[in-house]
Amino acid sequence: MVVFVSVLALGVGLWIALSPEPGAQAGFLASRLSTLTTIFLGIFIEAAPYLLLGTLASGIVEIFFSPEEIIRFSPRQPGLAAGLGSLLGLFFPVCECGVIPLTRRLLAKRMPAVMGLTFLLAAPVLNPIAIASTYSAFGSGPVFWGRLAATAFIAILTGLSFSRYPAVLSPVVRPFPAPVVGESPGGSPRSKWVRVALHAGDEFFEMGRYLVLGASLAALMQTFLPRQALLSLTQGPVVPVLVLMLLAVLLSVCSTVDAFIALAFTGIFPPGAILAFLVFGPMVDIKSAWMYLRAFSPWVVLRLLLFPLVLSIIIGVLVNLLLT
Amino acid sequence: MPIRTYRAFQALILAGLGFFLLSKVWSGTVLFYINRRFVLLVLLGGLGLLALAQVVLNSRRPVSGEDRELEPESTHSGFSGWTLFWVALPILLGILIPARPLGADALPQRGFGAPLSARDRGQGVVLPADSSRWDILDWVQSVEDPALSAGLTGKPADIIGFVYHDPRLADGQFLAARYTLTCCVADAFAIGIAVEWDRGQPLADNTWVHIQGPVDIIEIDGQPMARIQASSIEEIPIPDQPYIIP
Repeated sequence: MVVFVSVLALGVGLWIALSPEPGAQAGFLASRLSTLTTIFLGIFIEAAPYLLLGTLASGIVEIFFSPEEIIRFSPRQPGLAAGLGSLLGLFFPVCECGVIPLTRRLLAKRMPAVMGLTFLLAAPVLNPIAIASTYSAFGSGPVFWGRLAATAFIAILTGLSFSRYPAVLSPVVRPFPAPVVGESPGGSPRSKWVRVALHAGDEFFEMGRYLVLGASLAALMQTFLPRQALLSLTQGPVVPVLVLMLLAVLLSVCSTVDAFIALAFTGIFPPGAILAFLVFGPMVDIKSAWMYLRAFSPWVVLRLLLFPLVLSIIIGVLVNLLLT
Repeated sequence: MPIRTYRAFQALILAGLGFFLLSKVWSGTVLFYINRRFVLLVLLGGLGLLALAQVVLNSRRPVSGEDRELEPESTHSGFSGWTLFWVALPILLGILIPARPLGADALPQRGFGAPLSARDRGQGVVLPADSSRWDILDWVQSVEDPALSAGLTGKPADIIGFVYHDPRLADGQFLAARYTLTCCVADAFAIGIAVEWDRGQPLADNTWVHIQGPVDIIEIDGQPMARIQASSIEEIPIPDQPYIIP
């Protein structure tokens, strides 16, 4: 990392020094840096409270629930487990930042992979806040119901692909850092809440660095890639779907408000592209993909990215073909 | 890293992040980054981080009895100094780079032409009868709306925005621009209205201005755009709410 930063600094210094107008290049760089910082801080400030909520929920699960209780609560039949997992967001209203640490903790507590990973993908949309914002933006029309149905469908299908791993920690979840907080189920209520806070603090740092990395990457791409060229690709059944899905990944905005952004594209992009934006964005964006990499094994991350990607494209294109 | 040292840094950074969020709310510059609907959440997040910092700091004290179980390890093997650095990065950037809303510098990459149905919500645009109360988004939507655009010429405009010298415009003209914002600056879209002003010193890009004057309609790249024949232009500081919330 030190080498990378040093090489980057040296490269930037040389670029400015060797250019015909060093002052202009430095000014250009300063303005880009200011824009990049504003976008980065925008994503981080908006996401940090949600991440804190998610890590606190994760700490509560860790301290107050035993693996036996989680197993007892989880259906053994994969279809039922996936169905219940898709609805858990109604009781844990978390967005895509908060759901990752919570899911990892539930999986570590022996929640079946099919249920936990279905919850992971569905909860950012199938929770009361996101449902209310989608309804507020689109009313109870086809986009509203289409978003809920397509999200549940993709999440359940992806979750079921993990049904061979009913309650196995190691192949799904990456190892937690060495425990620094006592695992004893006993203790006074005060000490339990202190342990919740310490778990939350540790996990906030562990996941927070990936949030920072993801937000940095999103800000870099937004600062240097021309978005207007992307938004001009609105024709045909396939390309607009890909464009809005790519935009959802780049924007990395919270699933609780992305419906209002999608609303702004209606009339410009076909309905299948709008739907793909609304379904794919909460499951995969730059910052959540980075956080997936920290929380889950690489092959799980690959499946978490590929299933929603392919299914969202298929659904979006089908909707476009049927409605045009 | 010894656990007590790690906990000290962790508490420091958590407290720093908490104060950072609270200072952004207190100064109002949080609106340079996010929609105001999230400000309460950021405020609560800042307070939560301070509370968490307090708990982490207290956990460093020598313990006895049942609380000894809280810190059974003598070292914290799970995290490195880089973890602390990455989480501290937003504080460092917030301190080193002055807070500024998105401006003209970001326009070449983001381009003009926001999707405009955001304020419409499907019921059509309803605007005040007095056009001097319209903001830039109202003007842009009015030009796009066939029912409204016919009667726009000659109406008085009274808007604020930042200056952007669009290369598509003639000499003596610039765009008064704003960004619309739904969630945070990551989803900001630029919109603008042309301004005819050939008096006084040329205004630099990013200068915030208050503009008054009658409007006519011009075409840029085959698209209609409102243009203010400015009768007065006043330089102003960056407004408390630099973005337009659809």
